[in-house]
Amino acid sequence: MDLFPLWLSLRVSLSATALTLLAGVPIAWLLARRRFPGRNLLEAVVVLPLVLPPTVLGYYLLVLIGRRGPLGQALASVGLELAFTWGAAVLAAVVGSIALVIKSVQAGFETVDVQLEQAARTLGRSEWSVFWSVTLPLAWRSVLAGTVLAFCRALGEFGITLMVAGNIPGRTQTLPLAIYDRVQANLMDEANALALVAVGIVVVLLFGLSRLARLRY
Amino acid sequence: MRIVPLVLAFAWLALQPGAAPAADPPSLTVFAAADLTFAFRELAPRFEKATGARVTLVFGSTGNFAHQIRQGGPADVFFAADQSFIDALIVDGALLRETRTLYAQGRIVLATARAFGPKLIDLRGLLDARVRHVAIANPLHAPYGRAAEQALRAAGVWDALRPKLVFGENIRHTLQIVQTGAAEAGIVALSVADVPEIDWVRIDASAHAPLDQAAAVVRRSPRPELGLAFIQFVNGAEGRPIMKRFGFMPPGEF
Repeated sequence: MDLFPLWLSLRVSLSATALTLLAGVPIAWLLARRRFPGRNLLEAVVVLPLVLPPTVLGYYLLVLIGRRGPLGQALASVGLELAFTWGAAVLAAVVGSIALVIKSVQAGFETVDVQLEQAARTLGRSEWSVFWSVTLPLAWRSVLAGTVLAFCRALGEFGITLMVAGNIPGRTQTLPLAIYDRVQANLMDEANALALVAVGIVVVLLFGLSRLARLRY
Repeated sequence: MRIVPLVLAFAWLALQPGAAPAADPPSLTVFAAADLTFAFRELAPRFEKATGARVTLVFGSTGNFAHQIRQGGPADVFFAADQSFIDALIVDGALLRETRTLYAQGRIVLATARAFGPKLIDLRGLLDARVRHVAIANPLHAPYGRAAEQALRAAGVWDALRPKLVFGENIRHTLQIVQTGAAEAGIVALSVADVPEIDWVRIDASAHAPLDQAAAVVRRSPRPELGLAFIQFVNGAEGRPIMKRFGFMPPGEF
């Protein structure tokens, strides 16, 4: 059996999880700790990807990053093409999963006692240091939970990926797309085997993470 | 600060080369309507043997493919389930007009789930109270769904059947609804009907507008001659019998 979809999916989900954390944690912190104009709007925009049907979202993204899209043309002018590459699959996974990171991490930050942060400040800690040594350690479990959710969502991403990355075997066909393709072609044995692989990955991952969660930050 | 190295390790792993496909080997990428799944899986290896080219088959919804090709989707040749999509893309300049070719005419059948029992022999049989759900492809965007609606209207049962109808996304999905027994009956393409779980009977082609299926080479394709060769292969001496066996009427035999 061709295992390319498995490797591609792992690579895409890991990249997407790293990117969602890098972008999602600062946004979560902003939403939890700062009052600014447009905050409510940002909160709404953040969960939008969960509201829109994935294929519809994928269509809008394609119109944006496709060859005729504004972003696609900007990228093309510097010699880059994102649509229908594995990078597009990463983008799809990020868009599909970032809300899960932001909402869980935001909830985690909000439960951290502000007085503890203030105590750190009175001891002369910078905002940066307060975040790393007080806020983040106390919200660590929420960050981990958000990461697991995001990774699983990225691994299972289907609709957005189908639209922006295509379903091209050997190039952009991720594990969920490969399973779908086998089902469509009535190759149920292969489909079941691939589905089992996907489930196996997640079980192993969750087991490992539940161990990790018992560790202190 | 255990999490920082962890995130960095994630990022590092993700950026590792290797698993990713670097340079694409020279090959022909075919975007083909879902109803061609079985026929093309048999045709493509023969084309590969005849030409030495490598064929990558991508099956899906004709409407999705049209969006993707308009946005630079990496197809070399596009086989649509309905010629109107080909014509629209030619007007847009995404497909090469001179390569537009009719490759088949589709047929529809009335399918009954074997688990349900007696095979239905005409569309009026769908009115039977034991038939609780009838699956057809979505007539709004799926060509076979449109044909199914026309046939049901022609038989005068469309209005009575409306509460029973369930819509599949494409013809393969519609077939699955009947295959699994979720619907007792349905209208699917002849090209996908040969599965063990269903019985079927042809619906007369005069009951619906012709399902003319066309293909064309994508303008951006770096190897248009190979795409055209594939279209000609499908329509040629080796392709036609296979297409016929899978329920497509080849051009000239409508």
